[in-house]
Parts: sequence; C-alpha cells; structure tokens
Amino acid sequence: MTREEVFATLTDIFRDVFDDDDIELTDATTADDIEDWDSLEQINLVVACEKKFNVKFDMKEIQSLKNVGEMVDTIVGKL
Amino acid sequence: MNNYTFDELTVGMTESFKVKITEEMLDAFKGITGDVNPLHNDEEFAKAKGHPGRVAYGMLTASFLSTLAGVYIPGERSLIQQVETKFAKPVYIGDELTVTGEIVELVESVQRLELKVTITNQDGKKVLRGTMGILVV
Repeated sequence: MTREEVFATLTDIFRDVFDDDDIELTDATTADDIEDWDSLEQINLVVACEKKFNVKFDMKEIQSLKNVGEMVDTIVGKL
Repeated sequence: MNNYTFDELTVGMTESFKVKITEEMLDAFKGITGDVNPLHNDEEFAKAKGHPGRVAYGMLTASFLSTLAGVYIPGERSLIQQVETKFAKPVYIGDELTVTGEIVELVESVQRLELKVTITNQDGKKVLRGTMGILVV
C-alpha cells in the first residue's frame, strides 16, 4: 500500500468515525481542525486504524503523533 | 464488585448476572425519563396492542449493560465509551433476565475491550443483543 493509498483509506476512516463525508485531510491536519476530535474519538480512530490496516500501535506512539501526516507515516512504517 | 486490570482480561472471558423486572422499575424509569408512553404504563392499552401486560422500556433493559460493565466486567475500572444494541423481543414485568458479556477483542494500545452482550429471558430467548466498547482506566 502506497502512502497515497494509506492517506485515502485514513480519510475514509475519519469520515466514518466522525460521521462527516465532508472531512478533507492534509498532512498538517490536527485535532484543532476537526471539532469533534477529542480524546475519546482519538481512541476510536486508533481502534479503527488497527482493524483496517491490521497493525498495532503502542501508547507512546499514539501520544507522540502531532498531525495526520505523522499518523500516515507511522502506519506506512508498519505495513 | 470486580476490579479487573487490563492485563487480567482475556478474549473469551465472560461474566453474567440475573435481574427480575418489576413494576417499581418501570415506574422509577418513567419518573427519571418522563417517558409516559402508555405501552409501558397502561396495562389495558398494552393488552389492546397484543401484549400480555405493560411492556418494559427497552432502555430500561439496556440500562443493565451499565451494571454489566461497571460492576462485573471489567468492574471498578470501567469507562463505557460505546454501546450498540438491538431489542430483539419485548420484556414484561416479572421476566427474569440474564445479562451476559463476553470479551471478543482487547485493544492493548488504548486499553479498550470490546464486549459482545446478550440479555436473555427466563425462556432462554434473546431480548437484547449488542456490543460495547469499554476503556479500562
């Protein structure tokens, strides 16, 4: 899976988790850009990513992620 | 009250408890929620709709999922994040329900368990089924 494919799949996950088909992600997107992206939805995102990409995160990785771009890179690194 | 840590939990682990539905429960639920729908409060109305008596609120039945997570699995460390349920059959006053949860997935990175939940009546019929996402905090 290429970085672009991971990015597109991650966009679908965000739209599903936040129930908002208008979400457009960039590498710089953070929780400040999506109104409902709080700590509980962060957990839903992680769970959805682990299932969709068949990867496992550890807690330190999750806490260190600063934006969507870092999330994509972390996933690509595990595939 | 149970007090499982995340590391003590395993996929396939189950917990269950029994509860009997009473008239007082329906009345208390009406008082809390303000749901005065006659199906739950007027015996004659409920009978005219084809039921043997007042129908218990579906959300009253579902409320025992709070007990399942908060007291039994994982117990004290429970933080319910997500609940999805289907109400499969009506519940009536006097029904004896068995509330059961089985761990189907453990997500270590976020310390969350996925629980498959079922509630059956005294005849063994499923009256509710669903899933819960619960953080172990």
